[in-house]
Parts: sequence; C-alpha cells; structure tokens
Amino acid sequence: MSGVGPAVRVSIESTCEKQVQEVSLDGMETYVPPLSMSQNLAKLAQRIDFGQGSDSDEEGVEAEPRDPQEWGKTEAEEDEATVKFQPSLWPWDSVRNNLRSSLTEMCVLYDVLSVVKEKKYMALDPVSQDPSAGKTPQVFQLISKKKSLATAAQLLLKGAEKLSKSVAENQENRRQRDFNSELLRLRSQWKLRKVGDKILGDLSYRSAGSLFPHPGTFEVIKNTDINLDKKLPEDYCPLNVQIPSDLEGSAYIKVSIQKQAPDIGDLGTVNLFRRQPKAKAGTQPWHVKLEAAQNVLLCKEIFAQLSREAVQIKSQIPHIVVKNQIISQPFPGLQLSISLCHSTGEKKNQRASPEKPKPDDHLYVLEHNLHQLMREFHKQTLSSIVMPHPASAPFGHKRQRMAGPMAYDKAEISSLQQNEGLLEKIIKQAKHIFLRSRTARTIDSLASRIEDPQIQAHWSNINDVYESSVKVLITSQGYEQICKSIQLQLNIGVEQIRVVHRDGRVISLSHQEQELQDFLLSQMSQHQVHAVQQLAKVMGWHVLSFSNHVGLGSVESIGNASAITVASSNGEYAISVRNGPESGCKVLVQFPRSQSKELPKSDVIQDGKWNHLRGPYKEVHWSKMEGRNFVYKMELLMAALTPCL
Amino acid sequence: MEAPPVSVMPVTGGTINMMEYLLQGSVLDQALESLLHRLRGLCDNMEPELFADHELVYLLKGQQGNPFLLRARRSLSHPTAPWHLRYLGQPEVGDKSRHALVRNCVDVAASHSLPDFLNEMGFRMDHEFVAKGHIFRRGALKVVVSKLSRVLVPGNTDNTEPLSLSSLVELSVLAPAGQDTMSEEMRSFAEQLKPLVHLEKIDPKRHM
Repeated sequence: MSGVGPAVRVSIESTCEKQVQEVSLDGMETYVPPLSMSQNLAKLAQRIDFGQGSDSDEEGVEAEPRDPQEWGKTEAEEDEATVKFQPSLWPWDSVRNNLRSSLTEMCVLYDVLSVVKEKKYMALDPVSQDPSAGKTPQVFQLISKKKSLATAAQLLLKGAEKLSKSVAENQENRRQRDFNSELLRLRSQWKLRKVGDKILGDLSYRSAGSLFPHPGTFEVIKNTDINLDKKLPEDYCPLNVQIPSDLEGSAYIKVSIQKQAPDIGDLGTVNLFRRQPKAKAGTQPWHVKLEAAQNVLLCKEIFAQLSREAVQIKSQIPHIVVKNQIISQPFPGLQLSISLCHSTGEKKNQRASPEKPKPDDHLYVLEHNLHQLMREFHKQTLSSIVMPHPASAPFGHKRQRMAGPMAYDKAEISSLQQNEGLLEKIIKQAKHIFLRSRTARTIDSLASRIEDPQIQAHWSNINDVYESSVKVLITSQGYEQICKSIQLQLNIGVEQIRVVHRDGRVISLSHQEQELQDFLLSQMSQHQVHAVQQLAKVMGWHVLSFSNHVGLGSVESIGNASAITVASSNGEYAISVRNGPESGCKVLVQFPRSQSKELPKSDVIQDGKWNHLRGPYKEVHWSKMEGRNFVYKMELLMAALTPCL
Repeated sequence: MEAPPVSVMPVTGGTINMMEYLLQGSVLDQALESLLHRLRGLCDNMEPELFADHELVYLLKGQQGNPFLLRARRSLSHPTAPWHLRYLGQPEVGDKSRHALVRNCVDVAASHSLPDFLNEMGFRMDHEFVAKGHIFRRGALKVVVSKLSRVLVPGNTDNTEPLSLSSLVELSVLAPAGQDTMSEEMRSFAEQLKPLVHLEKIDPKRHM
C-alpha cells in the first residue's frame, strides 16, 4: 500500500481498535462501545457486495458467521484504505461514493428481496423488539442462567458456611469462656504463672515454708481433644492439669510398731494398697488431681526429711533406711517402721490382696502427727524468717543477729542452733504411744486376772503427745467407800512411768512391763491390809500394830509383805493378818486364854486375873471362809468375834 | 584532734566473701501504690513490713587515698534491735554483660554504742538521712522501697524533709562471689516490674 508518488512514502497503520466518539474539553476521549456480535454481523453484512455474483454471495453469507472476525478485519482495512486515499485522487469522490453506496444498497435490497422471495435460502421472521434477548441464542441463555444460578448457590453456600462458622465460634467462645472461668477458679485456689505460652502452676509447699527441692510445677492445659459435634460427657472439663509423673497416683506414710523383727528379705517391700481418693461432689477433677499430687509431694517431703535425719542422727542402734522404709528400734525387741507407700498405676488396685495389713497395724495417730510436724516445721521456717530491722541488714534469725552485740556465750549460741528433728520427735511419740498402750494392757490384764482387790483405771482423755496420765484405784467390791487407801497417779512419759502416791511419794518405773506389774501387785497386797485397818475403824476394833513392810517371815520375791493386828473392842480377840504379794494372805485369830481348851492349865497362873492374858493364835482357813472377797470375809470374821451385847 | 594515719586494708567478711548484687531504680510517689501492689503479688506471701531507719554515713580520712566509708544504720521502729554497720566495696568492674552491680559487702550487727565507738576510732559523720518504706522478700531477693528524707537538725530524726517526690527502689541479694545465676534471677524479676519501675545497675561513682 505505498503512495502513488515515488518521492513520498507513507506508511499506514490502523487506528486504535476503538473509535473515538468524542473528545471532551478536558481531553477525555469517549470511545464508541465495541460492537456486539449481532451488530458486528449487521455491519459486516452491509459490506457484502451482493452484486458480484450469486455464487460467491451465497458462500459469503454462509461463511460470515463462521469467521466474522478475520474476515471483517481484512475487509475493514481495505475499506479504510479506499476511504483514506481516494479523496486525494478524485474530486468527485464523495458523489461517486454516495452513488456507489446507494447502488450497493439497492443491489443488496434487490438481492435480499429476491432471496426472500425465492424462500429457498432465507425466510423472514418478525424481529422481536428486544434486540439482545431476541438475538441471544438459547445456549447462551442456558449458560447465563446456569451461571446466575451458580452464583446464587455460591452466595447461599457462603452464608451457610458463615453461619456454621459462627456457630462453631460461639461454641468455641463458650468453651473458651468455660476455660477462662475454670482458670479463674483454679487461680483462686492455686498459684499460677505464665511462662511463654504455657500456664504453669505451683503445687509445692514452698510458699508455706517448705524447703523441699522438688519443683512441684504443674501445667494447665486446655482440654480440646473433644469432638464439637458430639454431646459433651458429664465430667467434661475444659481445663486439665498435667502433673509431674512422679507425683501421680496416691501416697501415704505408714507408721507401724512391730514386736519382732521381720526377715531382712521383707525390708522395703511394704505392701501397698491403694486408697481411692474420694471425690467430693462439686469439686473439679483438676482439684482432686492436684490435691492428690500435693499430698504425694508432702509425703515425699516427709519421707525425705526422715531419711535424711535417720542417716545423720547417731543413735545407739542405728536407724536403717531401706528403699521406702525407715526402721528404728525405740525399745529393745521393738521396731518402729515408717514407710512411704506410693502407688502410681491403676494396676495396684488389687485390694483384696491376701496379706492386706491389719487395720491396727497402722498407727494413724503417728501418721497424722508426722503430717502435723511437717507443717509445723514449715511454719517454723516461715516464721523464723523475719524481716530485718534496719532494712539494710541481711536476712536471718533475729537472735543470731543479737548474738554479737549481746555477747552471747557458746551455750547460748548452741541453744539457738538446733532443735529436735522430725525423726527424733516421731520416735519419742512412738515410744510414748507404745508405753501407754503397754501400761493399759498391763493394768487390764491384772484387772482381769485378779478379782480381789479390784483395780480401776481412769484414763484422761486429753493428753500431750509425750505424756499422758492414768489414775489407778485399787478397791474392794462393796467397800469402795471405806477402802480408799490406794490411789495412784501414773504419769506415762516417753521412757519411764512416774507413779505419784496419794501421800505424795513419787516412784519412777522404767519402760519394762514387769516393773509396773510387780509394783501394782505389791500395791494390791498392801491394799488388803489397809482395808482391814479401815474396816477395823468402822467395826470398832483397835489397831494394835500395822506395818507395810514386814521384816519377818518368808522373803517375797516382789516387794514386801505387810501385816496388821487388830483387837476386838473388848480386847478378847485379836486378828492378825499378814499379806504378801506372792505368798498371799494368812489370817490368825488369837483367842482369850480362858476359851482355849487345849492350853494346859498352868499351875502358875491360877488367878482369875490371868484370864485376860492373851491366848494362842489359830490360823483361819481363809479359803474356806464364806464371803465373796477378802474384806467381806474379814467383816464376817470380825462380826463373829465381836461379843454380843 | 588529728586523725591518725590510716592504711586502708582490703576487707574480707569472715570465711565467705559475700557480695551484694544490686539493682536500683526510682518510682514517683503517684505510682508507688501500684508498685507496692505489684510487689505484694510477686513476692513471698507475707505481709510487707514497714520500716523506718536512720542511716549515718561515717568517713575516715587518711593521709592519702580514698576516704574509708562506713554506713551505720539503726531502726527507728525497733529501737531495741541492734545497729547495723555496713561496709560496701567498690563496684566490680568486669563482665559488662552481667545484669547487676556487684560489690563487696560486709555486714555487722553492732550494739547501740556504735556511733561513739566510730567517733573514738576517728571516723567522722559525713551525712545522715532517714529512710522509710516497705521491705519485701522473694526467696533470697530483698526488695526495699524507701522514701529518703533529709535530716534538718543533725541527730533529730523527727524533723525531716523529703528529699524528692519519688521513692528509691532497690533489689538486692547477698551471695558469694561468682554467682552469676543470681544476677540472672534478678534481671528476670526486674523485668516483671517493668514498666512501673526500671531497675538498672547504677554505678554510684559516676554520679558523684
């Protein structure tokens, strides 16, 4: 498409695709909107030169929709070329063009009419008013409908998704809220802190004064492993705690006193039986878990403290620490064992084990006291730390700070140093408990073995951990009012028993069982003689002699025999009683001389006045006497010997 | 009286040479309440104790070298408590990365005749002040929040005037030398007090 003249070469390029409709004042160009497909078709149809020949026309008409784009392009280019360059060639060009176009139109009209008329190729149908609707093919309609339906569906789906998301979020929120409220509740009872993205808690007793090095931390976990769709189980809790593995399960300290030493093979294999922690209604599962763990921790601390002391303390018989058991010998032949029972797994749940310890095996009091002592120890460490005054002074015991300025001597400083350890205290308590129970047993066995005199023990209900007292009364049945001679106060300590008599005498007895028994037996034998004395007063007899410790007669293995001689009111008869703890009682009656028949008549004492001389003694077959007890028999005897007035 | 020549000897405190690890900061009186509240939560669960101390700083000037400085302190609220005599050494230069100021420290409890004794030895009182505030404890850490007051008439502790509108916050711990875990612990504790108070290691020499 070069120019006509050789001198000027003009290169041609097409204008921009869209035609400029108008250029506004601000320079904005408004383009003619691109033609729609039908418009394009119409436009292209306009250009068809129907006059060129029917054959080619027919082909062209049919070919049009097939490839309108390509075809249109070349045509347009050619068209534009003629439009652009012909004006410069012919001055009548516009007239010619108009004529030509009218001719073309006429031809087209003619062709169309002929085509329509023939009805061979084309049929005319009334055109609908809506150009786009009328001209959109059904396929397009379908596609567009499908598309709009799809968008609608998408919208609906989106909404549904949003809804379900918000529901889930709600639930999540609620759970979050539950978690938060649970956390708040946890916080009100346990120490918590945040480390990184974890929430750690402290179940140790450190804040209460414990020095046990175990960290005792637990972790607070949000319980999320539960399916949202499923119904929540009853005991579901959004908050869970993770406790250290060595604090899991349950533990307790077992204290027991055994008479005989077990085989060395048995050491350290204390039978564990699990005590199921009873969950109170309304407590959170985490609370139960934490409390159990804290208990385990405390038991461990107690045991660690005890074992440390057991190794450190020098005693005559060294304490043995084997595995989870500490063995000590408070008294010879007696063994105190303290063991830590810690059961972790569920497999220990076999409660009906054949060698289940007897319930009395446990010394619950001591177990309780151990806990109490530990807490006391905690409190002590806590309270011993007082804030220094002045504030710049270092932490420490106040009394230690006083030591320098006050010039304490060695004794005073050493008195600051150490108080008794846990083990020493508990051994002392165990000794006391053992001594007390043995005393009770001794008294009981005596009371059941010996019916006359009777022995009564009044235990005081309120005791110190190291001391308790019992009042022992020795009486005769039916004569409680007049025979009050023997009242003993037994103060049971740790190592010995102090006996306080009614008259103020104090006797110390060792922990040996025999000593107490012997003492009580001698007291009982003395009681009989005392009872006779009391009875004599009531009966109007006179006491001629009385001795608690008779120097004559056979030697008693326990204590001494005691004796009394009483005379009847008129002095005719006399009763002499000798009572020994071992030899028993011997009762003799002295008759007046006049009544004794077997006494040979003496030539010397003929006179009547000698009748008042005392006669011989005769032993009473005491066992054959009537009466249910000694004092009753004695009363009968006295009554029989009292002359009737 | 002419002060006798003094040779300043290095001081060692008993068998174990104790060091004081110190962090200091200050808090305005308006923020004091919230700081106390925070400390109450962070420290061991005992009620914070109030204290009122009177501190006297004594100097012994020798012929040459630095004067020798001793701090004598007594409690106004506990008149029977022993006096506290304290020697503080120079801050250790060394590890810059250490988070706390470390200095030698000797603590002695003393009887009430301490001022007379120091006077007899040739010490002269340099200055005195009254410190009142709260003392907290967290393990071995000691937190002292105190308000310092100037003593207007020497020796009269009733007549005082606040030194500033803020309180001094000191976080200190006594430990044998070389316990760098301590300073780490202090740093983490100080971190928890931010932004109420910024505890830093402050070299007293630089402010002289």
